[in-house]
Amino acid sequence: MRRTLTLAFTLFTLLSNAQTTITGNVIDPSGTPIQGANIYLDGTYDGASSDENGSFSFATTETGIQTLIISFLSFETFYLTTELTKMSPLAITLKEDVNSLGSVILNAGTFAAGDNSKASVLTPLDIVTTAGSNGDYIAALQTLSGTSNVAEDGRLFVRGGDANETNVYIDGLRVFQPFSATANNIPTRGRFSSFLFEGTNFSTGGYSAEYGDALSSVLLLNTIDEPDQEKTDLQFINVGLGLGNTQKWKKNSLSVNAFYVNLKPYQDIIEQRVDWIKPFESLTGEAVYRHHFKSGTLKVYGGLTYTDFKLIQEDINTPEGINLNLKNRNLYLNTSYKGSLGNDWTITAGTSFANDHNDILFVTTDVTNNENSFHGKLKLRKRFSNRFKLNFGAEQFLTSFSEETENPDFGAFQTSYDNNSTALYTEANIFFSKKLALQTGIRGVHNTLLKYTKISPRASLAYKTTSKSQVSLAYGDFYQAPQQEVLKYNFDLEPEKSSHYILNYLYQNNGRTFRAEGYYKSYDGLIKYDTNSPMFNSVFNNNGDGYATGIDIFWRDNKSIKDLDYWVSYSYLDTKRDYRNYPDRATPNFAAKHNLSLVTKYWIGDWKSLLSTTYNFGSGRPYNNPNETLFQNQKTRTFNTLNFSWAYLISQQKILYFSVSNALGFDNVFNYQYANTPDSNGTFSRRAIRPTADRFFILGFFWTISDNKTDNQLDNL
Amino acid sequence: MKTILILLTFFTFTTITSQNSYEKGMSKAFELWGSQKPDEAINLFERIAKAEKENWIPYYYAAQVHIITTFGIKDAEEIESRLKKGQDFLNEARTFSKDNAEILIMEAMLNTAYVAYNPSVYGMTHSAKVEELYQRAKKLDPENPRATLNHAEWKMGSAKFWGKDPKAFCPEVEKAILYFEKEANNNIPFYPKWGMDQVTRIQQNCK
Repeated sequence: MRRTLTLAFTLFTLLSNAQTTITGNVIDPSGTPIQGANIYLDGTYDGASSDENGSFSFATTETGIQTLIISFLSFETFYLTTELTKMSPLAITLKEDVNSLGSVILNAGTFAAGDNSKASVLTPLDIVTTAGSNGDYIAALQTLSGTSNVAEDGRLFVRGGDANETNVYIDGLRVFQPFSATANNIPTRGRFSSFLFEGTNFSTGGYSAEYGDALSSVLLLNTIDEPDQEKTDLQFINVGLGLGNTQKWKKNSLSVNAFYVNLKPYQDIIEQRVDWIKPFESLTGEAVYRHHFKSGTLKVYGGLTYTDFKLIQEDINTPEGINLNLKNRNLYLNTSYKGSLGNDWTITAGTSFANDHNDILFVTTDVTNNENSFHGKLKLRKRFSNRFKLNFGAEQFLTSFSEETENPDFGAFQTSYDNNSTALYTEANIFFSKKLALQTGIRGVHNTLLKYTKISPRASLAYKTTSKSQVSLAYGDFYQAPQQEVLKYNFDLEPEKSSHYILNYLYQNNGRTFRAEGYYKSYDGLIKYDTNSPMFNSVFNNNGDGYATGIDIFWRDNKSIKDLDYWVSYSYLDTKRDYRNYPDRATPNFAAKHNLSLVTKYWIGDWKSLLSTTYNFGSGRPYNNPNETLFQNQKTRTFNTLNFSWAYLISQQKILYFSVSNALGFDNVFNYQYANTPDSNGTFSRRAIRPTADRFFILGFFWTISDNKTDNQLDNL
Repeated sequence: MKTILILLTFFTFTTITSQNSYEKGMSKAFELWGSQKPDEAINLFERIAKAEKENWIPYYYAAQVHIITTFGIKDAEEIESRLKKGQDFLNEARTFSKDNAEILIMEAMLNTAYVAYNPSVYGMTHSAKVEELYQRAKKLDPENPRATLNHAEWKMGSAKFWGKDPKAFCPEVEKAILYFEKEANNNIPFYPKWGMDQVTRIQQNCK
């Protein structure tokens, strides 16, 4: 009895613990053994790690059909479901995970700034601590290669394109009036406070099929998904006051922000070249609300700005100057939802709405205009695998503009239009391997006002040459409807067109980035007219054209010298265009041949200070001298400016900030205005267009109040 | 009858074995970690986590090994991918145990690792997160010795940076020691208990 039992017992043990041994070998696509891969049977404890030869071996008491899993960092997880006895010996080649760090990136034409973007060359903090930017994120982007320094304008001029050729988007939705209202030759700023954004993508060309209606560039800003903490921010600046507050509860958060600017006290002390009657005054209120659903996030952004100023503009033709009074009111609302639909589908849907109202008194002419704009967008993304993703979407734009002009001599004049367009696009991302990727897309747009339908292809290809460097190529066609100043008077026009060809080289190594980009851009169908500026009696046509070609170099290094971070941007630009009222192709005033920026940031630990300097150089800008026979053949003197800022951290939450722009007081000239008629000697006299003041000083105190006492507003400066 | 008894004993024995395989596996993983084989330890913790289902503890340790490992390496790419993987493990852990102070403490350590490795990039953005995470952890479990101790260490670090006296936080360390002593013996096997051995090192700031 005992013997039988013992036998039964032994048998049972043997049977139930009968072991199968699984052995094998794991290699990468190049045949190199993978050490440390995790190999196991799904749902069991049985498994092993591969050794330095990629070999593994483990025993299991499981039987029947099982799933074997092999996983390793930066490789795609491997699954094998089969009869256990058939699993040995295994020779497995893992596929590289194209989403991992070290994969090629599709970056031709793009500067990304964000914490987690692999293509990132700047962080959001870098943007706002740049001296001379004075908290305006647009000003900081002007230190990147591919932009021209047009200091009297303040907007972005990209690769020989004028400022209207760049569009701005917040959370994928169009911002219709991204810049504050201003007068001629007085620089504007971005309307939005920089602290609301955490990611910036600045494309200087060859951008995605998701965006259109911009000949040169798009700037994509993303608002913060989730603020870190509840806090109150106070700002006391010599030109204004600011207040911000963030609240979080359950799945919601709300940030509100108000800013008041009044330049009067400042201008009473520091002399200006502009004769202000009522200095610039503006009030801005912004709010962002976020709600997190189980599988998505809703964001609602609203901003309201009032601007009011009155000045006498100097003019060569009017010795007493031109009286200008401008009141602007701008409302912007943006709602977006991004979420997952399951099964690797992602949906992004949103709308933006803007109402822009201007009340302008120009000498005796009273102009009132109102523009309502709407953008609706639906975008779907399907991830078929890590290697193939498809995006497609539809967009609707509606713009309704009306203007009433009244002049005591000529009476009233009214104009209005409705500019509506519909666009469809699709784009595929294909990773052939970790080293080679392609993005290709197509965009179609139909405009009901100008009655055109245009198809534009886009493509970009990237190849990783070494572990630290890559080359990429991009191509695209871009169409843009004529601007408001033209549409006011004529709808019988085609869109303007540009084509981009871009070659990019990128090298990134441990805190050092080198980026070189060569490009050629052609322009077709540019709007021309036969008057000095667009008028009700102008004759318009689409016969203009042009080109821009150049090389952009960017170098950044934050490793070589301790506590010093710096970047250098250089842009070479060769461009000519025949547009507006040009007699033939010429280089426009905004396009200097050479632009250079050097930005340094030095952290002095003992002083708790961040010292930042920015040096900008621009070669002479072309201008037209009617005393010469050749059009636009003169050049201004070179442009130089050295900006300096000092942020002193009194304590963790209190910052004292001082900045001065053009510290050395370079006497810069942007352009010349010539008289319409020659004087008694037969020559046209002129006046120089210069900055409103040689230097601009900011002194501010920034105070953050929060429970955890660590946050501060360094990212607002 | 005897046979039945023996068979019964046998079955009980096997069930005990399978219950213990969790403990055996976990012990083995700690042993691997202790013998300088962090990646094998992570692999084993991950295997256990996958097999266990709905148990946050193995994921928690898989994340911890990744985080601790980054303190000893210099290669930026490796640090980034380990921290990313660590965050993935903690996210998994959280799906099985919401509002868990231990997971929040580990996440605070993960964010500290980001700041430690690249202060100029992550200093501003991640410092606020670290603070927030410790505060949430303390709210959930006011007498958690690890939250108290690590938070004190973090605050000492920033006090030093701001030229203030880190000694201000020494009473917090004393409090943590008290909490360690008081810490109830949890019945859940492998429930986090670490931290007491860090006290001496942290108290260097108090001399």
